[in-house]
Amino acid sequence: MRYGFIAAIAAVAVAFATAANAQDAPKDVKGLYLTSDYPAVTVRPGETSTVSLQLRNYDVAPERLVLSVSGVPTGWTATFMGGGQPIGAVMPASDSNVSLELRLDVPKNAPNGTEHLMVTATGGAAPLQLPIDVTLAKDLPAKLSVNAELPELRGTSKSSFEYTLSIKNDSGKKLTVSLAAQAPHDFDTSFTEEYGTQEVNAVPIDAGQSKNVKLKVTPPNTAAAGSYHVTARVSAEDTSATADLGLAITGQPKLELSGREGLVSTRAAAGAQTTVPVVITNTGTAPAEDVELSGSAPNGWKVTFNPTSVDHIAPDQNKEVQALITPTDKAIAGDYVTTITASARGESASTDFRVTVTTSTMWGIAGVGIIGIALLVMVGAVARFGRR
Amino acid sequence: MQREGSAFNGLGVVMLKELADHLTSIRFIILELIVMLIAVGTVYVASQQIKDTVAEDPFLFLKFFTTSQEPLPSFIFWLSLLVPVMSIGLAFDSVNGEYNRRTLSRILSQPIYRDALLFGKFLGALMTLAIALVVLWLLVMGLGLLFIGIPPGGEEVARAFVFLLVTIVYAGVWLALALLFSIVFRSAATAALATLGLWLFFYVIWPVLAGELSQIIVPPDPRYAALGLQTPGTVVLEQFLARLSPSTLFGEIVVALLDPTTRALGPIYLSQLQGAVLGAPLPLGASVLIAWPQIVGLVAATIILFVIGYVAFQRQEVRA
Repeated sequence: MRYGFIAAIAAVAVAFATAANAQDAPKDVKGLYLTSDYPAVTVRPGETSTVSLQLRNYDVAPERLVLSVSGVPTGWTATFMGGGQPIGAVMPASDSNVSLELRLDVPKNAPNGTEHLMVTATGGAAPLQLPIDVTLAKDLPAKLSVNAELPELRGTSKSSFEYTLSIKNDSGKKLTVSLAAQAPHDFDTSFTEEYGTQEVNAVPIDAGQSKNVKLKVTPPNTAAAGSYHVTARVSAEDTSATADLGLAITGQPKLELSGREGLVSTRAAAGAQTTVPVVITNTGTAPAEDVELSGSAPNGWKVTFNPTSVDHIAPDQNKEVQALITPTDKAIAGDYVTTITASARGESASTDFRVTVTTSTMWGIAGVGIIGIALLVMVGAVARFGRR
Repeated sequence: MQREGSAFNGLGVVMLKELADHLTSIRFIILELIVMLIAVGTVYVASQQIKDTVAEDPFLFLKFFTTSQEPLPSFIFWLSLLVPVMSIGLAFDSVNGEYNRRTLSRILSQPIYRDALLFGKFLGALMTLAIALVVLWLLVMGLGLLFIGIPPGGEEVARAFVFLLVTIVYAGVWLALALLFSIVFRSAATAALATLGLWLFFYVIWPVLAGELSQIIVPPDPRYAALGLQTPGTVVLEQFLARLSPSTLFGEIVVALLDPTTRALGPIYLSQLQGAVLGAPLPLGASVLIAWPQIVGLVAATIILFVIGYVAFQRQEVRA
């Protein structure tokens, strides 16, 4: 019951829609009309072009209309197409349209200029006529433009730079646009689709449309600080466009710490200060400023530096400081680990130094003294108690 | 009567005669045979265990002295047990034996002073022991080479050599004690019993007694006990008391010399271990320095015991 009701409503709606279509035309227009949306077209020689036509019947009885076209230059072929096949006559019902096409095969050697064709539909009443102007013109030149949304990027030598490029096809046909980028030596460049990771070498773009692609530039880790230029080049057929992109690498200091000649061990007597040369190297791409030194040693130990900090280390340069390590008086003999850290604004490096602690030999001398006293006692006894 | 001339006149004669007597005595041969058998046995067992060890050890050779396998204790254990027995066995009747055989006055009627007689007896016995110990040491090293076929490093040989010297000094302590008792007691059996008794006391009873005594004198702090730690005062006193025994001193020296990773022989605070690279071997000099007070203690004890015996002998009536 309920479904039946819904079906009824749907049927009414369909009927109403059909009626509304037929009522599109103004009420006072009556009769048969042969029309075309674009009665004047431009075609290229050697191509096939179609002109869409319509036969409209406004509120008159159906009538058979025979189609013909006149004024076709020699060598051209004009064919009426309807429903996918060649036709010769049309019969639109009352209050309905019939779409058809006029297919024109233009020979390659056709001269430039405008040809006037006349399409005629002959029926019982006066023949319907529609003049169509066909202009032969050379191809529109292909034209491309490329734009970067953010043409200047900034980052460290470890980051990758992504530019979004908008490529517009301003020509009258679909183009396959090949992509290329020119970057400084050792810079890696790749194009990917706008959303996705697939790398592309070329993208097809419809006439008048634009497409976004991403250009990813990866500088080498060793790239020095500075600004670089990358040129993105898009080309298709005989046209090309370029976009100049900027890349500012703000380098980064990178510290490394080691002993002089790589020696990271030293000897120290308990309670006595020993000096260890420490070499700080900046292997990064920007100068390291305010390099602070600190040491982490066992409890009771003293680690100081001379000088206590280094103002400036240029890239690929090194500075030597002296670490003054004093083991505690109570340290027992053996090896200990002392970590020395150099830090400069978030960048830090540390190295473990092995300190071999030796204890004082003072007690050894005291022991020799005790044995000496014992021997003296013996000599004294021999002298005092010696007898036959 | 005050003697005239050098106190050591005739020292060489006495020493060589003593040496010859000892080396040909049945007593010495029996003692030496026991030690040799034990040396071969322990080194063989140790080599079996070392062969099973795959890990690299820079001090592999020293393991011959310290490795033990059930039921056989390690070589150093036997050495610390038998060196006193050998020393006491050689010297317990050195003076009172002469007295009882009525030969003492006969010797002293020769142009030999009492000083020289006592020095000669001590040095003769010490030399006998030194010869025995050097032979034993060479035996262990040679067997070690034979069993594992790896030559020892210079550091290992140096450590083993210092260990040999310390063992001779340790033998000297007991020798001096046995000599003292052989002077003090007229009966050889009494002297032997007294010396062996004292040795057993120091070897077996004293370590236990030292722990008990230190707990009585410095009662453990319950706060340390609650943390599962020993009270520092108690530990220090216990160690002080235990070190009155030559056996303890010898044991500590052996640990420092034959285990190069030993860093200290006394109690260590945890703070002293902070940042320490555990398991790193110490150089030989540092190891000797750690054990130096103990070595000094053994040497000084030998001299002092000998001096007491010397003074007692000089004041004694020697005519029987």
